[in-house]
Amino acid sequence: MIGTILIGLSVAMLLFLLAAGLTLIFGMLGVINFAHGALYMLGAFVAFEVYNQTQSFCAALLLAPILIAFLGAVIEFFLLRPLYDRDHVEQLLMTFGLILILEEAVRLIWGLGYRDLPLPQGFDGSIPVMGSDVAVYRIFLLATGVAVGAGLFWLIERTRLGMVLRAAMSHPAMVRALGIRVDRVRTVVFALGAALAALAGAVAAPVLPVQVGMGFTIIVDCFVVVILGGLGNIRGAIAAAIFLGLLQAFGQHFFPAWIEVVTYTTLILVLLIRPQGLFSLSAGRKA
Amino acid sequence: MKNGHGSLLAACVAGLMAVSGSAYAAENTEFKVGGVVALSGAYGVIGEAMQKGAELAVEMRGGKVLGVPVVFQWEDSETKPQAAVQKATRLMAGGVNMLFGAVSSGSTLAVMKITERQKIPLLVTLSASDSITGEAMTRYTFRTSNPVNMENQMMAKFASRDGLKKIYGVVADYGVGREMWDNLKAKLKDQNVEIIAEDYPPLGNKDYSIIIDKVLKSDADGVAMIMTGGDAITFLKQSGQVGLKDQKAVFGTMVMDELMGKAVGNMSYGVNSTLRYHYSIDNPNNNAFVKAFQEKYGELPNQFAGEAYDGMAWFLDVVDSTGSWDSEDWVNAFENSTYDKSIEGTKVMRKCDHQAAQIGVFGKAVKGEAPMPEVTMEVTHRFDADLLFPACQ
Repeated sequence: MIGTILIGLSVAMLLFLLAAGLTLIFGMLGVINFAHGALYMLGAFVAFEVYNQTQSFCAALLLAPILIAFLGAVIEFFLLRPLYDRDHVEQLLMTFGLILILEEAVRLIWGLGYRDLPLPQGFDGSIPVMGSDVAVYRIFLLATGVAVGAGLFWLIERTRLGMVLRAAMSHPAMVRALGIRVDRVRTVVFALGAALAALAGAVAAPVLPVQVGMGFTIIVDCFVVVILGGLGNIRGAIAAAIFLGLLQAFGQHFFPAWIEVVTYTTLILVLLIRPQGLFSLSAGRKA
Repeated sequence: MKNGHGSLLAACVAGLMAVSGSAYAAENTEFKVGGVVALSGAYGVIGEAMQKGAELAVEMRGGKVLGVPVVFQWEDSETKPQAAVQKATRLMAGGVNMLFGAVSSGSTLAVMKITERQKIPLLVTLSASDSITGEAMTRYTFRTSNPVNMENQMMAKFASRDGLKKIYGVVADYGVGREMWDNLKAKLKDQNVEIIAEDYPPLGNKDYSIIIDKVLKSDADGVAMIMTGGDAITFLKQSGQVGLKDQKAVFGTMVMDELMGKAVGNMSYGVNSTLRYHYSIDNPNNNAFVKAFQEKYGELPNQFAGEAYDGMAWFLDVVDSTGSWDSEDWVNAFENSTYDKSIEGTKVMRKCDHQAAQIGVFGKAVKGEAPMPEVTMEVTHRFDADLLFPACQ
C-alpha cells in the first residue's frame, strides 16, 4: 500500500511539474499559453544539448530553464505584450502559432530523430519500499515537484516580489500609479513560466521520449491538472496532481479500465459544477 | 479507286496514330511517384527514413524506369487518415503513376479506397494491419513489408523457443493494439504459453510505473509489449529504471531497434523485438544497399528505410519488366512476381492477398562497439516464410 502511494505521488509530481508553468502564466497573466508544450519540448532538447556538451546533468538542469526563461522574456516582450488588451482568442492564436515556429526550429536544429538524456549518476537503480520497487530517479522527481511547488507558493504568497506580482495582475492601474512597471512584472512572470516548462522538459527527459512533437502529448494532461486544480491556482494544481496520481495508482490496481472514464467525468463535472476548480478555497483566491 | 481510298484512309490512320503516339510519348517524359508519409510530428522520423530508402532505390537503378526519369512528389500525411487522403487525392490529381505510403495503418486503409477508384497502384512498406491484405484488400494495393499476423507468429515462436511459460501483456489501448494482442494471445496459447494478466494503458500514457510494479510482482517470466513509438519508449525507459528487463524477458513487435535505442539509451540492452529488416542481413544485395546508404546519408539504414528501399526497388523492376505504361499491366505482373534481389533474401508476392511472403527476423538489443551504434540489434532468430504465412485460401 505505501509503495503504491509513493508511486502515485511520484506520478503526481511529474504531472505537477508539467503543469506548473501553464498554471502560473494563466494565474498571473490570464494568458492560456498553448505554447507551453513547445517550451517544454525546447527545454528537453536544450537540456539534451547541454548534457551532450558538458556530460553534466546538473548543468543541463540549470541551463535549460535559464535559456528558455530568456526566450520566454523575448516572446512576452515582442509577441504577447501588444495583445493583453485584445480578445483571448488572439492570444490563443499567437501561442498556437508559436508552437508551429518552435516545432520547426527544433526540427531544423536537431532533426526528427529521437534523443535520450540518460539518468544522472547515482540516480539509476531502484529501492524497495514495502514490497514495491521505486526508481531512485522517481524519488528525485518527487522531491523536485515538492521543491518547485513550495518555492512557487513561497514566492507568490510570502515575498514582496510575489505581493507585487499579485497586485500587478489584479490592479495593474493602481500598481502602475505607485511607480511599479507592470510590463516588466509581466515579462518576469512569463519568463518564470517558460523556465518551469523547460525545467519540466529537462527532468522528464530521462523518463519520457525526447523528440519533435513531444509537447503535444503532454498538453492535455497539463490542462486536466490546471482545470481540476482551478485555473491559475498553484496550490490547486498540486492537489489536483496528487488526486490524479493516486487515482492512477489505485485505479490501476482496482479498476484499470475505468481510470480514463473517472478522470474525464470528473473534469466535466468540475467544469459544470465548480469551474473555479476542485481545490480552490474560494473563487477569487489564486495562489 | 477503292484502293486509293483505302490507301488514303490507312495513311490518315497512320498519321493520327503517329500524332497521338507522339503526344502519348510526350506525356510520359517522367515516371511520377507520389509519397504520402509522415514528415512531421512524432512519426516524422519514420517518414523521413522511408523517403531516404525509396529515393535511394531509384538512384541505384540509375534514376530511371521505362526509359524516363523517376520523379518523387512528397506529401506529409501528418499521421492522420484525413490528411493522408487529402494529400493522396492531390497527388493523383497531379498525375502520379503510383503512390507510396502511408505510415499508420489507418491512413493506409483510407488511401487504399481512393487509389482503387483511380486505379493507381499503392505500394505499402510499413503499415502492418492485417486488413490491408485481408478483408480490405484491393487490386491496386501491394504490401512488401511485414503484416501483424507475421509479427505475432515471430513473437509466439520467440516465446516458445526461449522457454517462456507465463506472459504478462501490456497493450496500448486502441483498436489495432487490441486486435494485435487478441491475435497474439491465440498464437501464444497454441505454443502452450499462459497469459497471466494484461493491462491496457491509454495511447500516449505518461506513466507506466504502476503497471511495471504489477508486472514485477507477478510470476510472469516475460512481458509482451504491444505498443509503438513514444509509448514503447516511455515504457522501456521507466521499466529499465526498476530493472524489469533484468528480471523478466521483455519483448514486443517493433519495440526496439537502433532508432529506438537512441531514445531509450542504455535501458535498451536486453530488450527483444521483431525486426522488419536489419542492416546486418548478409547477402550481396543487402551489402550493396547498406554501403550505398552509408555513402549517401552517412548512417546505417533503419528498418523503415530498408523496407522502403526494398519495396520501391522491387516495384520499379516489375514496372520496367512490363515495358508498358498501363497500370493494369504493372498490377498483373506484380501479382505474379518473385523478387530474388530482395535485401532480405527472396520475396514472393502472393496473388491471393497482395502480401509479400518473406523471412522474419527477431533481435535483441546489445551494446554496440564503434563504428556500430551504441545500441545495436543482434539478430537472434530467423524464421522461414513458410512458418510465418498461412497458405492462400
